[in-house]
Amino acid sequence: MSTAPAIEVSGLSKDYGSGRGLFDLDLEIHPGEVFGFLGPNGAGKSTTMRLLLNLIAPTSGSAKLLGLDTIAESLAIRRRLGYLPGDFAMYPKLTGRAMLDYLAQLRGGVDPAVREGLAERFNAELERPIHQLSTGNRQKLGLIQAFMHEPELLILDEPIAGLDPLVQQSFHALLKEVSAEGRTVLLSSHTLSEVERVTDRLAILRQGRLVVVDSLENLRQVAVQRLEIEFAAPVPVDAFSKLPGVTEAKADGHNLTIAFEGSADPVIKALAAHEVRAIRPGDENLEEIFLRYYRAEEPK
Amino acid sequence: MSWPTFKLTLRLRLPSAGSAAIGLVAVQLAVGALFPAIGHSIGKLDVPKGVAQLLGGADYATITGWFRSEIASIYGPMVVAALAIIGAAATTAGEEQDRILSLTLAHPVSRSQLVIAKALAVAAAALIVVLGEWVGMIAGVALGGGGISIGHITALALQLAAFGLAAGAVSLAIAAGTGQRSLATGIAAAVGIGGWLINGFAPLVSGLSWLKYLSLFYYYDAHDPLTRGLGIGDTAILLALALLLTVAGIVGIQRRDLRG
Repeated sequence: MSTAPAIEVSGLSKDYGSGRGLFDLDLEIHPGEVFGFLGPNGAGKSTTMRLLLNLIAPTSGSAKLLGLDTIAESLAIRRRLGYLPGDFAMYPKLTGRAMLDYLAQLRGGVDPAVREGLAERFNAELERPIHQLSTGNRQKLGLIQAFMHEPELLILDEPIAGLDPLVQQSFHALLKEVSAEGRTVLLSSHTLSEVERVTDRLAILRQGRLVVVDSLENLRQVAVQRLEIEFAAPVPVDAFSKLPGVTEAKADGHNLTIAFEGSADPVIKALAAHEVRAIRPGDENLEEIFLRYYRAEEPK
Repeated sequence: MSWPTFKLTLRLRLPSAGSAAIGLVAVQLAVGALFPAIGHSIGKLDVPKGVAQLLGGADYATITGWFRSEIASIYGPMVVAALAIIGAAATTAGEEQDRILSLTLAHPVSRSQLVIAKALAVAAAALIVVLGEWVGMIAGVALGGGGISIGHITALALQLAAFGLAAGAVSLAIAAGTGQRSLATGIAAAVGIGGWLINGFAPLVSGLSWLKYLSLFYYYDAHDPLTRGLGIGDTAILLALALLLTVAGIVGIQRRDLRG
């Protein structure tokens, strides 16, 4: 396995005009990494992936996949790459099996055992015409075709769109196996919850520009924490809303919901002044930091 | 060339090509069967010169003229060209708009290999329709009492094939060059129908007869292969044009971003 970056992007831009496109993207993804690409619709995730596959040409900049130039050596890259396009589409009259046969032939053949194993893992329907399949069942075929030749690099655009939770679980397990084998995955999503269980690092794009690249662990450290506290008696909300790091405090009778960043120490010490009956962790807190990036605010 | 793409494209075009071929056989059997009954009487009709010109300017009273007017001048080229034009646009720009082409081109297939495979598959589908025209005309002429040699029927089929390939290549060049199915189909259809009208009417207007040389239909029909055999020069012009336009399509798709 090469030690060169699996994906190396340098100043990559695609300008569609009116502020749309991708601008000056620098990125390095290492072999064996599962890398999440997050951003709202229109942030430039699919544009980046299509640039990497040489389906569209950059306005400026360059990229290398597996050490090969994405334009000059595109064909050699595609032999070693699996791709799932967003909004995956295929010939509607073909059965899933016929479609996979065709795509396997384009690669000069694939190991039938691998393909059948994937079909079994995802419980895919291969014998029905594609136009009769639900979105989720079509997406399963998309995943099979992307993985069936055991590529060194996988580029997956919204891979779990339409998949039920059980199949999502199978997909996440597959990603872990792929990563353990030293293969690299770049996957996109517009929601954090879809990727946080599987990615090592992630990047957030907004309006075509890279906002942040970091590990989930680091991002968690600056993420908002949320607690729901039940007191023996009502408490004054001001005693909490003015604490250092507190971004939100809402009191409702005996209950208080509080969100804060950084150390929990000031909050815990303030709680100690009251009789606390229960403390429950609030809902997803990491999502808030992503939403803030999406909304063009800098995290505090 | 990508063989898997060629085979799959042909497989997906076969139902329409097969239906068109069977339709052409059936129509020509009917045309041939009608000739003994009405050929002589219809031959006495006083058809306006413009209309006669559009129908190949042939004599209805002879079986050669009857088949030229009924099949060679309208029905045959219309069916073959329609299949080639629609097929070329659907398998390139249509698949691009349906987001299938992006998936195909994420595999180790170059854009030129893909377009060549699509072009050859559509050409093969068009040739199946031409085969139907050839078989149907042999059977139809036999039903009508005979009178056209198999050599001349074959000559017509060859010129029809060349015409179909050229019409399909117009569509292919635009579809591959722009990624727009409707634009490709519309322009190629306009070139075909416009060419048919120009070929019919331009010679009737003094000073405009040179316009006929701009018509694909002229190179298909003017030599009158049913009477005079294969027009080698005209056929070569159509084939060269088909080749040139296919190359233009390949260059076009390589120089632009894929849609979808």
